[in-house]
Amino acid sequence: MTLPEPVETTSSPLYMNYTYVAGTGRSVFLRGLNERRLLARHCPGCSLVYAPAPEFCSRCLRPVGPPFELPGTGEVSTFCVVNFPFPGQVYEPPYVVAHIMLDGAHNRLMHLVREVAPEEVTIGLRVEPVWVDDDELDTSTTSIRYFRPIGRPTRDVAAVPYAQTPIGPADA
Amino acid sequence: MSGPLAVIGVGQSVQAKRREVTIGALVREAVDEALADAELGFGDIDAVVLSKTPDLFDGVMNPELYLADAMGAVGLPVTRVFTGGSVGGHAAIFGAHLVAAGLARRVLVVAYSKESEGNFTWALSRGLPFSSHLGAGAGGHFAPVIREYIRRSGAPEHIGWKVAVNHRHNAARNPYAHIRRADLTVEEVRQSPMLWDPVRYLESCPSSDGSCAIVVTGAELARRAPRPPAWIHGMAWRTETGHFAGRDEVNPQAGRDCAADAYRQAGIADPAREIDVAELYIPYSWYEPMWLENTGLAAEHDGWRLVDADRTAFGGDLPVNPSGGVLSGNPTGATGLLRFAEAALQVRGLAGEHQVPGARRAVGHAMGGASQFHALWVVGSEVPG
Amino acid sequence: MVSFAQSPCVPADREHDMAEIVLPVIREALDACGLTRDDIDFFASGSHDFYEGRTFSYIESLDAVGAWPPISESHVEMDAAWAFAEAWAWLQLGEGQTAMVYGIGRSSLAADLDQILPAQLDPYLLAPLRPHRDALAGLQARALIDAGLLTERQLAEIVSRYKDVAVDKLMDAPHVAAPLRAHDIAPPGDAAAVIVLAAGDTARRLTAHPAWVRGLDHRMETHYPGVRDLTCSPSTRRAGERAAELAGFATADVQVAELHTEYSYQEPLLVAELGLKNAEVNPSGGPLAGWPATATGLIRIGEAARRIMDGTTGRALAHATNGPALQHNLVCLLAAQPRDPGQPRDPGQPRDAAQPPEAAQPREPEQPREPEQPRDAGQPREPGQPCDAAQPRDAAQPRDTAQPPEAAQARDAAPARDAAPARDAGEAR
Repeated sequence: MTLPEPVETTSSPLYMNYTYVAGTGRSVFLRGLNERRLLARHCPGCSLVYAPAPEFCSRCLRPVGPPFELPGTGEVSTFCVVNFPFPGQVYEPPYVVAHIMLDGAHNRLMHLVREVAPEEVTIGLRVEPVWVDDDELDTSTTSIRYFRPIGRPTRDVAAVPYAQTPIGPADA
Repeated sequence: MSGPLAVIGVGQSVQAKRREVTIGALVREAVDEALADAELGFGDIDAVVLSKTPDLFDGVMNPELYLADAMGAVGLPVTRVFTGGSVGGHAAIFGAHLVAAGLARRVLVVAYSKESEGNFTWALSRGLPFSSHLGAGAGGHFAPVIREYIRRSGAPEHIGWKVAVNHRHNAARNPYAHIRRADLTVEEVRQSPMLWDPVRYLESCPSSDGSCAIVVTGAELARRAPRPPAWIHGMAWRTETGHFAGRDEVNPQAGRDCAADAYRQAGIADPAREIDVAELYIPYSWYEPMWLENTGLAAEHDGWRLVDADRTAFGGDLPVNPSGGVLSGNPTGATGLLRFAEAALQVRGLAGEHQVPGARRAVGHAMGGASQFHALWVVGSEVPG
Repeated sequence: MVSFAQSPCVPADREHDMAEIVLPVIREALDACGLTRDDIDFFASGSHDFYEGRTFSYIESLDAVGAWPPISESHVEMDAAWAFAEAWAWLQLGEGQTAMVYGIGRSSLAADLDQILPAQLDPYLLAPLRPHRDALAGLQARALIDAGLLTERQLAEIVSRYKDVAVDKLMDAPHVAAPLRAHDIAPPGDAAAVIVLAAGDTARRLTAHPAWVRGLDHRMETHYPGVRDLTCSPSTRRAGERAAELAGFATADVQVAELHTEYSYQEPLLVAELGLKNAEVNPSGGPLAGWPATATGLIRIGEAARRIMDGTTGRALAHATNGPALQHNLVCLLAAQPRDPGQPRDPGQPRDAAQPPEAAQPREPEQPREPEQPRDAGQPREPGQPCDAAQPRDAAQPRDTAQPPEAAQARDAAPARDAAPARDAGEAR
């Protein structure tokens, strides 16, 4: 008996649709983005400001305070340059993905930095958000198109410790 | 605890893009080899622990169900552990706990990933409605942390290149490794494409298919094993929350606590002097100096100096990843267990061509998530006492 | 067990994220036993990415633990009942006195579970068939009916007990996966559950009525429905027997049993395999009142323990399952009294762990996978009777056929080693 040709691979794609639930804490931040506002909240236990903020502090578990608006400016706390293409990529490389410490906040937001050559991006670079047009605004971080520089670094970056936030006792 | 514990069997598959075997067959390669090493059969195993990274990577949900037959797990208790990339380490430790708790005499710990059967860059980079669609991939997470380490420590840029060369040279002595390059030069690494600046192509881990399995048992059965056991001198796991403000991802507290706990159990006061060889979870070259510092094998900001002085190369006084490590083969679900298993092979004297002569105490280390999950064990050739 | 809390199982929670669902339940469980998060020595949890639709989803739940300073922690990508098993094992190491187990399950996020659940099957031979979510359960129910062990009317009677709807009316409902009707199937929902465990005197200090975990075991069956006898559940039976050995009392001796029945037909099957006699089954309403995915099994343990902690029950059983058609089953035995420390250690205990060398037994008595005599397939069982332990496809058989020749030889050599008195162990090498 002649056997059929061996099967080497089979394709079995999965199609799965999900509902994602933003949650009450994240919802506050997302609704702010829809209005071009960066909303932060203060943890009374750790004296830290979160943006985006959860509903409770993930260190001390206390509920965070009411939302307030940040100026939106910040600085690059660290970054990388994505240099290569891969499937599903949204932007054409090279592009800069940065951890941005918003002024007045103690946790970092991950976003793009553009309008600057990747080789000119430095730790400590001052940046501001570039918002999308009104018709593109959404309850999403895509309401910020990217961040762009607002001048040269103004601080001696070597002197800035990485964990620059005042870290109090976790359960004070 | 019931007394000393030991690894008496180690098995692994060749790491590569393994399109010629099914997931079950890939897993079975490691299982068969581990049992053969221990000269045991399925009937000698009391429980199975399975380690695997996200099920969305290859589209098999609860793979312990499908793999029950391939792992010889029918009729046994099976636990599927998942803690991010550290999962292989967590699985090994949980397996040891089952023996220590008197719930099993011999535990088979199994780990695998078959990245080629799914698209895990997709699985990792897929945007959710409420987060940025940055499409940065795994390197996009780690590269900024590396940049911060370089800034803090003042390390020169060739350190990353050198680590990449060391590990690929080591892999040339390991027949199971995916990337085996005895001829790789620092210049070639330096000239390789920049992926996530400052991480270059040859400083990055590959995506591999592969499996690993170990057999853990108690003192009495370990003494009767046909080949030398690797005695567990200390083991620990630690987790920290990923999202809180002020978190230090370069030198995470959980990693420091984890290593300190394992060394305390092992009676190790000066790990840099008392450890002969280390298998660390290094997915990007710069994580060698970072994890050397985090696991207490080098002083803070000094990890890169060990690399620079060739002390962590094969033949140095503290060889790191003589197997070639994650940079030379990365089946994510098995990567952590491979580190633990390679440490065991070293102290058993069974590491073959990449055996570090006279290795008596070794560290196996795994890490996962945004450096939130850490697992580490110290194994030795002598019964802990 | 010193504390149990759960959130109400709601059809779909569209307000809270994972951490927000878990945190209030953690608070309630800790408050009930007077502990704070910092008093917990070990954390274990269970959840699954396929229900959440994203990778590493469980990391979000850690925000509800506040893992800072760093904690000792582990996670199973399974029902959280298996996280409970891990925490129970961990406490026996003596490295800590307290452990918290939490489970989060959201069955509601997937728009269509028919897209999700076939992914549990062999990816080459079974998953491409894309059986819908209830298809394998329907096959198992059909097998039980065809074997004369169940009738559709009995299924309706079981549901009637829970839902207070007349049997005839239930029988009028259309089939969803014949012989199953919609009311035979646990309704998807979202919930979290938290259990606090404590060892020995710590448990006594924390509560007047701890529920002592006397025994726990779980067992896996072969994956392939085509080679299983779907009319029985040898893994449930074996897990129950092993749990009973550890517990010092039989599964038949419990007054309350909480069974992880995602389908009505599973109740009589599990009752028979566990040999339950007069036990009240699923006083909580069971999963037919709500199926929060990976929290469902942990809730069974919590609900069984609740009956002991409130003083109404002396002995209780909890069961959890994972996989299609009851492939993987866990049995936990709980009691109001701890095991008498003077009682001899059961012979099933691994010898290494506890037994003095002279008591060392050959491993046969505990060997779970003896070759069994094939059951006469032509001989029907009485309805409600457990299937014969000697199944042609019992656990033993696939193992033997699966074994490569070399491994079989190695195993043949093993019993001789094992049977050797332990005092010779040192000389064996």
